[in-house]
Amino acid sequence: MGDLGLTPAETEGSAQRQALLDRRTHMLKVHQRLGLITVIPVAAACISAAGAPPEHGNYGNTTSRDVHVALGAAAVAMYGATAYYAIRAPKVSNEPARGGIKWHKYLIYIHAPGMVLTPILGAMAFNQINSGQKVHGIASAHGGVAAATAISYGAAIVAVSWPIHIKF
Amino acid sequence: MKRLPLLAILLLTLPVASVHAQSPDQAWNLDQSTLTYHMSHPMHEVDGTSRAARGKGVCHAGQCDFLVAAPVKSFDSGDSNRDLHMLQVTRGAQFPLIQVRFRLPQGSLASPTLDCDLEVEFAGNTAHYAHVQFHQTIEGNAHHIVGIVPATLTDFKIDPPSFLTIPIKNDIPVRVDLTWHPS
Repeated sequence: MGDLGLTPAETEGSAQRQALLDRRTHMLKVHQRLGLITVIPVAAACISAAGAPPEHGNYGNTTSRDVHVALGAAAVAMYGATAYYAIRAPKVSNEPARGGIKWHKYLIYIHAPGMVLTPILGAMAFNQINSGQKVHGIASAHGGVAAATAISYGAAIVAVSWPIHIKF
Repeated sequence: MKRLPLLAILLLTLPVASVHAQSPDQAWNLDQSTLTYHMSHPMHEVDGTSRAARGKGVCHAGQCDFLVAAPVKSFDSGDSNRDLHMLQVTRGAQFPLIQVRFRLPQGSLASPTLDCDLEVEFAGNTAHYAHVQFHQTIEGNAHHIVGIVPATLTDFKIDPPSFLTIPIKNDIPVRVDLTWHPS
């Protein structure tokens, strides 16, 4: 192989490096699976948001708001577990990301802060409603931040699957 | 005393004859190469290309032996995550090279179609492909060869990776485009 001009680094195998790659793939497969499952509570939280604000000043009925809070909490918890597997997956290359994975990573800068901010703003809005107030101040951004987070999360899933050529 | 010069001549000519037997009649170098694998999935069609293959050919007594080798990690599909996953499923860190060996009669090297029996070492396994046809065009010293190696995942005991629980197709044909020069 030396005759061909290949360096030892190119020709010598490493079981240790293979094990690292195997571990990375395993963790990213779990990340992918959890990420897809997380779509369910995220979508459900978005749908249930329609029933969360008090209707016609009726601040007493909290059922639909409680359902929305529970679904939102589940979405954030699932998102945290999904992120854990991506963060903990071993890094095996220092080369810059190319292709869809690059956009998947860029979108983290939108949905990750969004997943932190959305429940904080939601809790503020929840407290304001519970104390008989209209949602005001920064808490009124809860819906907008949540929508941006959900859209960027969906875009991150599409980005990592891109380009899609459906052919059966 | 008459035997001594004879013995000396024999001893002197023997190494020369041996060197003649080992030196090749003709040698070939791979100048340019493009290897492209194709992967199919109901949602994706992917091509991964390597231009990093190296190769040599040596001819002896009318037979030419060729070797082409390419690092598995040199294949670029346009997505670094997919390339790393490909490297993992093909056990590319443990077996970093794809090696292809084939033998051709020296007399056939100028023919427009080359019929090759390939021995391919990849992912820690060896597969044989009989009568793979390559088309050749010759311009001056450059022998330009194109063809497709009908490789499959099962040939190399590679577990098919899946996306949304659907595995990729077993066929991973490799398009070969090589330019050889006699040295």
